[in-house]
Amino acid sequence: MTRPGRSELVKVGLFAAAALAVLFVPRIVSDFRAQQFAYVGIYLIALLGLNILTGYTGQISLGHGAYMAIGGYTTAILISDQGLRLGGHTFSGDMRDVWTIPLAGVVAGAIGFLFGFPALRLSGLYLALATFAVAVATPAVIRKFEGFTGGGPGINLFDAPGRTRPTETTDPVTFETVTEPIRVLGFEIHSFNEWLYYLCWGIALVMFALAWLIVRGRFGRALRAVRDSPLAAASSGVSLAKYKTLAFGISAFYAGIAGSLLAIATTFVNPETFPIALSIFLLVGVVVGGLGSLWPLVFGAIFIQFLPLWAQSISKSPGAPSVVYGVILIAVMLLLPTGAAGLVRRVGWAASRLVSRT
Amino acid sequence: MDYAQFFQQVVSGLASGAIYAALALALVLIHRATGVINFAQGEMAMFSTYIAWTLTTNHGWPYWGAFAATILLSFVGGLALQRTVIRPVERAPVLTIVIVTIGLVLIFNGLAGWIWSAEVRAFPTALPNETVDVGGVAISIQDLGTLAIVLALVVALWAFFQFTKIGLAMRAAALNPDASRLVGVRVGWMLAIGWGLAAALGAVAGMLAAPTVFLDPSMMQAILIYAFAAAVLGGIDSPFGAVAGGLMLGVGLNLIGSYIDFVGADLRLPAALLVILVVLLVKPEGLFGKPIARRV
Amino acid sequence: MSTRTVLAALAAATTALAVGIGSAVARTDAGAADPGVTPTEILVGGTAPLTGPASAYASIARGAEAYLKHVNARGGVHGRTVSYRYLDDGYDPGRAVQVTRQLVEQDGVFAVFNSLGTEHNVAVRSYLNARKVPQLFVASGATTFGRDATAYPWTLGFQPSYATEGTIYGTYLARTRRGARVGVLFQNDEYGKDLLAGLRRAVARSSVRVVATQSYEVADADVQSQVAKLKASGADVFAVFATPKFATQAYVSATKLGWRPLVLLNAVSNASTVMRTIAAGGASGLLGRTISIAYLKDPTDPTWRDDAGVRTYRDVLRRHAPRARPDDVFHLYGMAVAHELVRVLRAAGPQPTRAKVMRAARTLNDPANPFLLPGIVVRTGRGDGFPVENVVLQRWQGGRWHTFGGLWGPPPR
Repeated sequence: MTRPGRSELVKVGLFAAAALAVLFVPRIVSDFRAQQFAYVGIYLIALLGLNILTGYTGQISLGHGAYMAIGGYTTAILISDQGLRLGGHTFSGDMRDVWTIPLAGVVAGAIGFLFGFPALRLSGLYLALATFAVAVATPAVIRKFEGFTGGGPGINLFDAPGRTRPTETTDPVTFETVTEPIRVLGFEIHSFNEWLYYLCWGIALVMFALAWLIVRGRFGRALRAVRDSPLAAASSGVSLAKYKTLAFGISAFYAGIAGSLLAIATTFVNPETFPIALSIFLLVGVVVGGLGSLWPLVFGAIFIQFLPLWAQSISKSPGAPSVVYGVILIAVMLLLPTGAAGLVRRVGWAASRLVSRT
Repeated sequence: MDYAQFFQQVVSGLASGAIYAALALALVLIHRATGVINFAQGEMAMFSTYIAWTLTTNHGWPYWGAFAATILLSFVGGLALQRTVIRPVERAPVLTIVIVTIGLVLIFNGLAGWIWSAEVRAFPTALPNETVDVGGVAISIQDLGTLAIVLALVVALWAFFQFTKIGLAMRAAALNPDASRLVGVRVGWMLAIGWGLAAALGAVAGMLAAPTVFLDPSMMQAILIYAFAAAVLGGIDSPFGAVAGGLMLGVGLNLIGSYIDFVGADLRLPAALLVILVVLLVKPEGLFGKPIARRV
Repeated sequence: MSTRTVLAALAAATTALAVGIGSAVARTDAGAADPGVTPTEILVGGTAPLTGPASAYASIARGAEAYLKHVNARGGVHGRTVSYRYLDDGYDPGRAVQVTRQLVEQDGVFAVFNSLGTEHNVAVRSYLNARKVPQLFVASGATTFGRDATAYPWTLGFQPSYATEGTIYGTYLARTRRGARVGVLFQNDEYGKDLLAGLRRAVARSSVRVVATQSYEVADADVQSQVAKLKASGADVFAVFATPKFATQAYVSATKLGWRPLVLLNAVSNASTVMRTIAAGGASGLLGRTISIAYLKDPTDPTWRDDAGVRTYRDVLRRHAPRARPDDVFHLYGMAVAHELVRVLRAAGPQPTRAKVMRAARTLNDPANPFLLPGIVVRTGRGDGFPVENVVLQRWQGGRWHTFGGLWGPPPR
C-alpha cells in the first residue's frame, strides 16, 4: 500500500469530521426521521458496492437486488425461530442479528464472486441483460424453495429471538413496566429507531472507509484500467479475470450486508421485499450519485429513499406519484448526466476559481 | 402419450410466442438502429394500446381506423421522444440513457393509470372470435391471425431494410455514424425514425396481445421480459431471430411447464430467464445473429 | 487534494446538516392520552396500493375516504372529524412496513385502518400489536386475520375469509352436483391457497373430486397454458381463484379451447364491471354458467337502484369524490368498512382510547350496514374474529347477478 500523502491526510480528516457529524444527527432529528436516515445508510452501503463494480470497473449490474435478497434471507433464516431446514440441519434463532451481518455479506459475496466467472464472457449490454434476468428470477426462486425460505408468506422477524431491540419486562416486585435498553459499547439506547440508525451508519462509515482504501491504491487503478481499456490493461499484465471477479465479489459483499440490514430494519422478508424495482433503483442511485466517485453516493441514497415519498405529497391521484418520479428522474439525467458527483466537481471548480481570483 | 394435449400446448405456445415475437421485433429494431436497449418498450406499447382502446370504445372509431391511427401516433410519439429526451443524453455514459428509459417506464405506467384508471378492460379484435377443432386440438382464428401478422411484419421489416433508401440509410447510421454523415445521411433523424418505427411495432404488439391478456397498465411487463429472452435467443440484432426466438420460447416454455412438474407454472419466468443466461454465455449473438468480435 | 474538493465537501456538509436540522421535530413524550385524538379530530391511517400492479384496488381507500368526509359533514363522531390518511406502498410489503411506521411514529395516527394486502398487513401486524395500535378492518380475506385473534388481539379483518368462501363453493357442489370433477386455477399465494384449501376441505367427504390444480404467479403474462391443462384433466367444474386480470384471461382461454364447465368465480373478481369486460372479451357463454358469492350490494344492479344504501353511495361519491367512477365496486367496499369504523368509534364514547376502540371492534353487532346485502350481520365476539361471515350465492344471467338460495354461513343469533 502506498504511503498517504498530505492531501490524503486531509481527506481522512474530513472523513472523521463527517463521521462525527453523522453520529451526531440523531440528537437533533426526530426519532422517526432517524429511522428514515438509517435506510439512507443502508442504501449507501449497497450503492458503494455497486459503484465499485459499475463505476470503477465498468461492469453494469442490473441485479444487485438479488444479492441484497441473499443477505437479507441469510440473516432472516439465522435469527428467526421458524426452524428452517437445510439438509439435515435446522436453523433456528441461535444467532444475534448483528453477528449475521458479516455472514450475510460473505455468503452474498461468495455467490457474487462465483457469478463473476461466467460474467467474464459478457460485457456491456449483455451483462446488463444477464444480471437483469437474475434479478427478475429471484422472487420466483425464493418462492419456489419455500421449505427453506418461508415461501410467499415470508419470514416474520419482529418476534425473532435473535433480534436486538429494547425489551419490555414487568418488574416482578413493583409490577411496573421496565424497558430494557440496548447496551452497546457502554452506551444505552432506548429507541429502536436510534439503534437502527447507529447500526446502519456505523457500518456504512466502516464500509465507506473500506471502499476508499480499495479504490485509492493499485487495486483501484487496476479496476479503472479494466473499465477504460481492457486491451491495454491485459497487455500490461493486469488479469481481467481476477479483477472482474473480485469486483463482483466485493460489490455483492456490500449488497449482502445492505440486504441483511434491510431485513433487520424492516423486520420482515418475503420475495416481494426484494423486487426487480430494487435492483433498478440501486442503479438509479449510483447514476444519480455519480459513477466512479464515493461520497456523492450519499445524494443517490437520499434520492432513492425520499423521492417516492415526496412524489406522493405532490399528488395522490392514481398513477400520479409514478409520473412525478419519472419526470424528476429524467430531468436529473438531462441536467446532470454525470450525477451529483459531476455537479460537485463543477461547483468545486467554480468555487476554487472564485477563491483563486480574489 | 396424449398427442392432443401435446399439440394443444404447442398451439397455445405459438400463440403466446407470437406476442413475445412482436415486442421482440421492436426491441431488436431499436437496438439495431440506435444501439440502445429500451426498457420502456413495453410500457410505450401499453400506452399505445390504450390510445387504440379509447379511440374505439370512447370515440366509436372502427377497428382498422383506430389501428392505423394508433400506429401513426405511436410512430410520431417515438420520434418525438428520441428528439426530446434521448438525444440530449446521447453522448452521456450508456447508463444515463438506461436510467432515462427507466424514467419513461415510470411515466407511461403512471400516466396510463391516471388517465384511464387501472381497471382491467377488454380490447376489441377485428378477427372473428371462433375456434376450429382439429383432431381434438382447439385452434383459435385470432391466434392464427396474430401469427400471420407477425410473420408479415418481419418480412416487411426485412424488405424495408434491404430495399429502401431510408432502410439503407438507417443501417449505415447505426453501423458507422461518422462515415454516414460524410455521405450525407442525416444520422440524427435516422435514430429518431428508428425510435418511431420501434414504437409503432410495439403498438402492434400491444394491440395483438390485448384481446388475449386484456388491457391494464401492467399488461406488457411480463411480456417485455419474455420479449427480451426471445430477442437474446434469436439474436439481438436479427429481426428473423427475434420472431424465431419468440415462437421457440413460447412453445418451449409451455412444454417445459406442462411436462416437467418441478418447473410447473411458478418457475416459468425463471426458466425463460435461464434461457437468456445460457444463450448469453454460450452464444451471445443468439441463434441467428452474426458473431460479435470478442474483446480480449 | 485541492481547494475545490475542500470547498465542495464543506458545501455538501452544510447542506446535509441543513437538511437534518430542517427536518428536526421536537421529540414528544407519549402523553397519557392516546395519540391521534384531539378535541376536534381523530386521525386514522393506512396503506394503499396507489401505484404498482394492484393500483386498481386503491378505490377502497378512496371510497372509505369519501364516506368519512360525508360523516364529517354531518357532525362527525362525538363532535370530532375523522381524518383518514392513506399512503402509497406500491403493493410492496417492505414499503408498507416503512409507511405504516411513518403513520404511527411521525403522524401519530390513532389507529391503522383499511390497509390492503395480505403480506402487507402480516408484515406490520407484530409491530402494531406490540405498540397496541388497533389494526382495524384489514383489507384482506386471509384466514389468519380472524383466526389468530388471541395472538394478535389488536388486529381485525372484515370480509368473509377466503377459506370460508372456498368451503361454501365446495359445500354447494357437494349438495348439488354429485360426482363433479373440479379443476382449479389459483394464484400462488395465501389468497389463492386459502380458497383452494377451503374448497378441498368441503368436498373431502363427498363424491366431488378436485382432479387438477394449476397455479399462476402474479408476475405471469397469461394463463393459457394452465387453462389448457385444466381442460385436459376432464374437469367439468372450473374454479377460478384469481384476481380480475387473470380471471378474465381464464374465461377467454377456456372459451377459445371450447371448454364449457360450470365456473366458480371468487369474490375478488366478481364485480359487474369485470363481468362485462369478460363479456366484451368474447366469453359470454361461460359467464352464463358462473356462480359466485356476494356480500356487498351491487351498485350497478337495477334491483338496488332505489335502495337507500346505494343512493347514499352515489350521493357520497358525487359530493366527496367527484372524479371517482361509481361503477367501480371497490368504492362501495370502502364505504362498508368506513361505516363500521364510524360505529366502532362512536361506541368507544366521547373519550376514546385505543383499548376502548378495540373492545368495541371485538363486540360488533351491526345488522344493518347499508352497503351489505340484507340479512348479513357484521358481528364479532369472544371466539369469533370474523366480522362478516354470511354470504349469498349468485349466478350471472342476462347481464347481471341474480342471488339465489338463502344466506350461507353461521346462522344469525
